[in-house]
Amino acid sequence: MPVLTANSRRDIEIHRYPAVLYLLVPFVALVLQALLPHWLGRFAYFDLPLVVTIYFALARRSPAQGMFLGIVLGLFQDALTHRAIGINGIAKTVAGYLAASVGIRIDVENLLIRLVLNFALTLVSNGIYLLIYRGLLGMDFAWSWLDMILQAVGNSVIALVLFPLLDRFQVRD
Amino acid sequence: MESFFVRYRNLLVLLALLVAQILGLAIQVRRNAEGRTSYDPRDSEGVQLIRLWANAVVSPPERAVANSRSGAGWIWENYFDLRNVRQQNQNLQSEIDQLRLEQAELLEDARAGQRLEALNGFQQKYLYKTIIAQVIGGSGTDLSRVFYLNKGKDEGIARDMAVITPEGIAGKVREVYPHSAQVLAINDQTSGAGVILETTRIRGILRGNAQGEPAVVNILADQRIQPGEKVLTAGGDQIFPRGLPVGTVEKVEKDPDRDGFIQVVVKPASRLNGLDEVLVITDSEPRLNDKQLKDLAASESEKSVEAAALNEQKKASQILEEKLPGLTDPNAAKPAANAAQPGDGSTPAAPAGPKLLTPQHSDRFTPGYTGPPAQPADQAPKPATPKPATGNNPTGNTSGANHPATQTPKPATKPANPPSEKKPEAPKPQLHPDESVPMPAPKSNPNINP
Repeated sequence: MPVLTANSRRDIEIHRYPAVLYLLVPFVALVLQALLPHWLGRFAYFDLPLVVTIYFALARRSPAQGMFLGIVLGLFQDALTHRAIGINGIAKTVAGYLAASVGIRIDVENLLIRLVLNFALTLVSNGIYLLIYRGLLGMDFAWSWLDMILQAVGNSVIALVLFPLLDRFQVRD
Repeated sequence: MESFFVRYRNLLVLLALLVAQILGLAIQVRRNAEGRTSYDPRDSEGVQLIRLWANAVVSPPERAVANSRSGAGWIWENYFDLRNVRQQNQNLQSEIDQLRLEQAELLEDARAGQRLEALNGFQQKYLYKTIIAQVIGGSGTDLSRVFYLNKGKDEGIARDMAVITPEGIAGKVREVYPHSAQVLAINDQTSGAGVILETTRIRGILRGNAQGEPAVVNILADQRIQPGEKVLTAGGDQIFPRGLPVGTVEKVEKDPDRDGFIQVVVKPASRLNGLDEVLVITDSEPRLNDKQLKDLAASESEKSVEAAALNEQKKASQILEEKLPGLTDPNAAKPAANAAQPGDGSTPAAPAGPKLLTPQHSDRFTPGYTGPPAQPADQAPKPATPKPATGNNPTGNTSGANHPATQTPKPATKPANPPSEKKPEAPKPQLHPDESVPMPAPKSNPNINP
């Protein structure tokens, strides 16, 4: 009986999707992230590009792909703000890398683990953002821990709905 | 060695990506003379290009969504209206449902129409050139409170233009693209607008705090600032015209970063979290409509007529002053004779005035009055001629020239002439009302009582 190593599990459980989905989902996430806060006002506690990054990094179980998606979405998000380009890029690159690295080691099909991962990675991403802003760039930046936690909760709730929806588009061999 | 790279390939890629982005960040920030780091307000060409790409990707769907909100209403209404006509005879219930939907849609359109009408009305009476623009999206994060407009460079919008609503100011244009523009809201932490508190006239800088509320900072603790006070633009920032409403004071808090200072949290007048249509001030030169121009011309002509009438009054009062008898002593010595010559080193020259007449019937109000005479006139000692008060006369001149009560009345239109520059007027001879001949000034006679 062959031993189920990390690599063999990775080979077995890599999910594949239609190519158009890799473009469409991040694009829709970026547009909705720009649109929805305008309609929802101060209740827009979510970061859709981060949720999408985490999902694809977990599903593909490839740190390189997770990092690539994270950097692209992060830079796009930065470009839509008036702040320096690269802060979100770094935060989401690390989030993509961590998500994919965790995905290799543990079973990420479990809904609870997905929720916890989203919650934790949102906090990590926001923490990196804060670290870069204050530590690396040495700029003044007021921060609300409550907002950060609410955003982590919001991302988890969205993942609860979005992940099973995107799972339906998996290509079965 | 090869195995090292293979084994740590992902980690090395991660490090390479992080280093590249950190270098990119280092290019974008500047350290100013005070040693503080800040963004370069003008993006470099490369950064502008990235922002342009991102905007080109995200803006079209945003515009489509914004347009579809009105376009969909039109399609919906027309299509379902026709369908209703066809189905009218078949299914009344479906028509009723449809009409209900339509009614809701029309209600929404009416509200939008009212909003636009109000905005248009505000624009008509506003003195500056403005463009109405629609808000089509935002940055998507609370960390950057910017929003995008559906109009840009091609429609005449440029950087640093003020963005307002009929209720109050909203932000300033930060970046301009061909058909869209990025606006930095006043509740962003990096924004800054000069404001003034309406009642206390305290000035400060308005910027957003961590909670996304606009707050006036750099204010010393002041008990006079109370919730409810209006906050207006101060006009010193060269972006917002002076006097535009900003909001009202919501609460006063201690500045966490600076002792002795407070921050005044402002409830914004405009609904920053739900902006739909805004006005962009494209030109701060006053734009007067026909009625305002007419009013201005009428005001100017009225002013000139008033000035002419005032001149006439001045001339008339001068003529009256010359012709009417005054309280002057025609026998008084020329004031120039008594006045010290300027520049002779003695007492400074004082404006000379007419000599005060002695009272014909002195009473207890007369200066120097000591009471009724107790002896006959021929035996009683002659009372001293009443002298005017000289307390205000630094020269010691008793002519009473400096006493305000003794000065010849002047028309009120000559207050600008200093007393020292006045030419002393020769006292006019007092005329007897019946004889119309010069009459000497009567001397004081204490025996005659009224």
